Amino acid sequence: MAHDNIEIADGVDHQVAMVMDLNKCIGCQTCTVACKTLWTEREGTEYMYWNNVETRPGKGYPRNWEQKGGGWESEEHTQRTPGEIPSSEDYGEAWEFDHEGILKEGEDKKLAPEGGKPEWGPNWDEDQGAGEHPNSYYFYLPRICNHCTHPSCVEACPRQAVYKREEDGVVLVDQDRCRGYRYCVEGCPYKKIYYNAVSKNSEKCVFCYPRIEGEGPDDEVHPPACADQCVTQLRLVGYLDDTDGPIYKLVEQYEVALPLHPEYQTTPNVYYIPPFAPPQHSRDGETVDAERIPRSYLEQLFGDRVNDALETIERERQKVERGGYSELMEILQDTNPAEQYRLEVFDDV
Amino acid sequence: MSSNDDPDDVSRRDFMKGVGVASVVGATGATIAQQGMNHLELVDDPIGSYPYRDWEDFYREEWDWDSIARSTHSVNCTGSCSWDVYVKNGQVWREQQANDYPRFDEDLPDPNPRGCQKGACYSDYVDAEQRVKYPLKRTGERGDGQWKRISWDEALREIAEHVINEVTEGRYDAISGFTPIPAMSPVSFASGTRLINLLGGVSHSFYDWYSDLPPGQPITWGHQTDNAESADWYNADYIIAWGSNVNVTRIPDAKYFLDAGYDGAKRVGIFSDYSQTAIHTDEWLSPNPGTDTALALGMARTIAEEGLYDEDHLKEQSDMPLLVRADTGKFLRASEVPGLGEDVDDPEKVMVMQDGEGELRIAPGSLGDREAKYDDSKSIELDFDPQLDVETEVTTTDGQVPVRSVWVNLNEELSNYTPEYVAEETGVGEQTHQKIAREFAEADAAKIIHGKGINDWYHNDLGNRAVQLLVTLTGHIGRNGTGVDHYVGQEKIWTFNGWKTLSFPTGSVRGVPTTLWTYFHGGILNNTDEDTRSKILKSVNEGWMPVYPEKREDGFRPEPTTMFVWRGNFFNQAKGNVAIEEVLWPKLDLVVDINFRLDSTALYADIVLPAASHYEKTDLNMTDMHTYVHPFTPAVEPLGEAKTDWQIFRELAAKIQEIAERRSIDSVQDRKFDREIDLQSVHDDYVRDWATGEEGALEDDEAAAEYILEHSEESNPEDGDHITFADTVEQPQRFEAAGDHWTSDLEDDKAYAPWKDFVQDKEPWPTFTGRQQYYIDHDWFLEYGEQLPTHKRPPEQQDQREYPLRYNTPHGRWSIHSTWRDSEKMLRLNRGEPVVFIHPDDAQRRGIEDGDRVEIYNDLSEIEAIAKIYPSSEPGTVRMWFAWEKYQFPNRENFNSLIPMYMKPTQLVQYPEDSGEHLHFFPNFWGPTGVNSDVRCDVRPKGGED
Ligand code: SF4
Ligand code: SF4
Ligand code: SF4
Repeated sequence: MAHDNIEIADGVDHQVAMVMDLNKCIGCQTCTVACKTLWTEREGTEYMYWNNVETRPGKGYPRNWEQKGGGWESEEHTQRTPGEIPSSEDYGEAWEFDHEGILKEGEDKKLAPEGGKPEWGPNWDEDQGAGEHPNSYYFYLPRICNHCTHPSCVEACPRQAVYKREEDGVVLVDQDRCRGYRYCVEGCPYKKIYYNAVSKNSEKCVFCYPRIEGEGPDDEVHPPACADQCVTQLRLVGYLDDTDGPIYKLVEQYEVALPLHPEYQTTPNVYYIPPFAPPQHSRDGETVDAERIPRSYLEQLFGDRVNDALETIERERQKVERGGYSELMEILQDTNPAEQYRLEVFDDV
Repeated sequence: MSSNDDPDDVSRRDFMKGVGVASVVGATGATIAQQGMNHLELVDDPIGSYPYRDWEDFYREEWDWDSIARSTHSVNCTGSCSWDVYVKNGQVWREQQANDYPRFDEDLPDPNPRGCQKGACYSDYVDAEQRVKYPLKRTGERGDGQWKRISWDEALREIAEHVINEVTEGRYDAISGFTPIPAMSPVSFASGTRLINLLGGVSHSFYDWYSDLPPGQPITWGHQTDNAESADWYNADYIIAWGSNVNVTRIPDAKYFLDAGYDGAKRVGIFSDYSQTAIHTDEWLSPNPGTDTALALGMARTIAEEGLYDEDHLKEQSDMPLLVRADTGKFLRASEVPGLGEDVDDPEKVMVMQDGEGELRIAPGSLGDREAKYDDSKSIELDFDPQLDVETEVTTTDGQVPVRSVWVNLNEELSNYTPEYVAEETGVGEQTHQKIAREFAEADAAKIIHGKGINDWYHNDLGNRAVQLLVTLTGHIGRNGTGVDHYVGQEKIWTFNGWKTLSFPTGSVRGVPTTLWTYFHGGILNNTDEDTRSKILKSVNEGWMPVYPEKREDGFRPEPTTMFVWRGNFFNQAKGNVAIEEVLWPKLDLVVDINFRLDSTALYADIVLPAASHYEKTDLNMTDMHTYVHPFTPAVEPLGEAKTDWQIFRELAAKIQEIAERRSIDSVQDRKFDREIDLQSVHDDYVRDWATGEEGALEDDEAAAEYILEHSEESNPEDGDHITFADTVEQPQRFEAAGDHWTSDLEDDKAYAPWKDFVQDKEPWPTFTGRQQYYIDHDWFLEYGEQLPTHKRPPEQQDQREYPLRYNTPHGRWSIHSTWRDSEKMLRLNRGEPVVFIHPDDAQRRGIEDGDRVEIYNDLSEIEAIAKIYPSSEPGTVRMWFAWEKYQFPNRENFNSLIPMYMKPTQLVQYPEDSGEHLHFFPNFWGPTGVNSDVRCDVRPKGGED
């Protein structure tokens, strides 16, 4: 079978993938907290958000990550794009608060981050977006590691401590072999590897492999925590090469699920349903037939294919509005949880 | 299926040669050679064949736990989400949604998982710094945060002595208990309420106090509030989210709104700002703040004028055909028309309409034609055709009187709302608001989700009535997928009877409208205009609204002396905060706060008792957002010396009884009710099952929970299964039935939607007229020109020239009221301290940049916050998400310090004035609302001048 939009790395049997529907993201950060309470409360990881949700347009987390390089120069994957390591200010510190002093020891100060006024944090520009009322615009973009097919982080590591698992394509940093050089941090264009200054290792999203392996005390397969706990259930998780699954349909058949910044050339395996928004207002308060989120902005994020994707979504929505049936619209709703997470379809994973 | 000829094979293996500058020198600045690469075993291909994978156990070992308990959160969020709490090494590790709500309708989206980011880190509170672990007694001034640890015995003794003194001195009605929202944890609610009821003390309302009550619902529909469960949103073809920011305030339910958009529904958002919910709508309207009423009435005008209304519905279900005397503005009564109303009990309370032949007929189901407020033996079904358009003269006992139908009156009112006027007043375009009105009217099933954005204004009753009018005109009510669903706070609990009898065993209840109680004792009478002052006094003197302590026979009214607060943060969340702190709080000799954390009320209390956290207790949990019940069960033992609320109040009862017995304290005759307050039996009474008479039956929390389930129709109906506590632990249980306080039946495979008893079964509406009533002929309504919904501009307590900005304190994303406001994890995900959202132009004009410290001030106070530039705000408004704790501000003035005490006289009435069946005070059903949206302020950079 020929696939236009699907590519699995050589040597990888199956590739995990996630589709996130931005039209259902409400910026609640339940995913962020689910991930944090599971993986990043150990010493040195407090500032990390393997899953973060940022308001777009915006500088994101870490601040201005899109301007920090990494990835590949071209689809040949021969030349990597130089990258830089974000500063600790770009991430924001994990602020400490003195509840004890104020509430129990009578200290006369207010509860606020200790050690001065912070300048940035993981959700600093929440809800700010761009434009101006009544034609402002913003939406939420949840981000995890893309477990790329051409992971420039793997290539960047001189110790070869970053690797892609054979059975499912999950990209991991070997916590024994890593020495904390942070080449991978530079090399990832999505800035999805974080340095742990306590363990002196780099760490990253593990696609909750212990959960998808069913390695917990209950011996059950669970989707990644960020997906499982997402309250609007906007994430689908499965294998890209599961041609009967909804992810395959969204990516390959309907072509409505698109990678973020395809021009970074790492071939991400997290895909997004692009956002639509209510139309603009005229000066006298009338709804006018003008798109609120500039297409050029969405093209910057998702490439030119965003135009076709939005058109398809609009066409299918109208079909349902007129009383027709649309498989696509059905897939995007949470009416069939069994299909949403297809993690047990292959015997060899 | 994978790509062949991977072109980067070579480069990957050639990494040592370096590609790109960055890979030559690492982040540590050392070269690779220096870093000891020499002896490292090479990996053939890190893509797909990495050999050293044993380390992977490192993360596998994290995904581990010892036990799981089912619990949830008691925070008045209305979420009611069932969580699995994971315990590792004897400590709560983390939580995850339990994900096992049973589906009752396969066509609806999966009810799982409910939850939000706050619930996902409640575990942090269990051993947080702000956790209360021992009884604390204040050593400094209130608010200083200086305490000494005392023993339980000392704490209970001190409180018991105080209470005994108040009761024996006859000041039992100076003892107040404030605890909101039974549904979130009814056993905890009942714990203190039960003791206070036995003591003859005062129980506070909450739904009206927090301005969650939409007064327009009791005014128009005669009922407290009734809403569809959120799953029913999905059944609508057209949904307007009107001032209800569901994506922020209804996180567990937002899915139904979002999925409806993929199911063919059109979603319209009506918000002044381009809100977090507006972004996911299909069309957004942006009315100027405080003009929603004008917008709704403009839409109503379009619907009425273009004949898009549901005529049959209006004739049968609304007051539109009823006749109103043009001379007095009062409804024409059957008693006034010779020959009419001879068959009814009380013709003075029976309305009149005109049939197709021009004959006058009585309106069946009017109050004078039924037994009581609710009377399902009567029907409003008609066997004649009442006319809507009536303007005539009738012969009455007073002679010839001109009359007009409500419909004619309404159309006259609506004629003011021309498209031009509406566009001018609201800023919503002439075409746009009319188009939305038409679409709404023509949809098969259209629904309005109605929220705090329009409910927190002084004229909220008018706003409610105007919005409700849209669903009545179009007949979008009483069916699935329709209605006005007002989701603000939680007015009621599913398991009503069990909860009620557990909380108020004596049946003699001193309920108080908290807004009135608070502002009365906070000095509103010296702080308001003469008209409001005289109307408050009239309402109190007439007994329309009670205030406690009661006036004594000699005319003296004592001050309140004692307050117990649990499950709520009364002091922090009180509007009129300056007056509360300066006038009310000093009147209280003893403030006891029962809490798992030190919130602002605890900080300003005299004694703080350590309560079990939500993961350390047994209780029930439910919401009107869904139709399930599920429990709290303890994942771990309470930390330190903490105890559950039920145990705390039970032990306090025991201490009171012990002292009373020792001193042989006589029982006290209640001044109002036919009962004796007997302190020598107060613990025995507390633990007795009053339904069976069994002594000692309710010692523990689970027994109290079982009592609630057993004595409620919803969980133990005559013809259905008895849901036990154990059942709820097993899996969330859908209720079996909906009792009398609901307005529809609960059907097996359908989402709950209200008002079917009236619309489909044709029972009389519980109003004066027995119909949806848009015309209120109470004297005060007539005096204010509010007999029909009408648009009025917000009252201006602050001069607009001096305070040009509106000050809005909506519910935000990062807390449930004040809970989680102090959470480290949540603070790290916003800006760590209070933030005020400001439009870029308003900021620029004042020399303010994003991140600057600013002062927000008006005539009452000034508070400090960080400015956040919010381009989606309408100009002229600043927003501060509410519920920051006092101790998050440098001067301990909080977000509520800028808010004065408002009280709208139309919400103090009884109607009909003599008997009050339609509107009479009942806690959380009818009483003045504590509003806060009409406030003005200005902002300046910190340290700067005006
Ligand atoms: S997103 Fe970054 S860290 Fe994740 S696989 Fe791709 S390049 Fe590597
Ligand atoms: S939990 Fe879901 S809806 Fe909420 S921010 Fe994360 S992805 Fe978005
Ligand atoms: S806080 Fe409320 S809304 Fe959030 S998870 Fe808990 S119960 Fe649900």
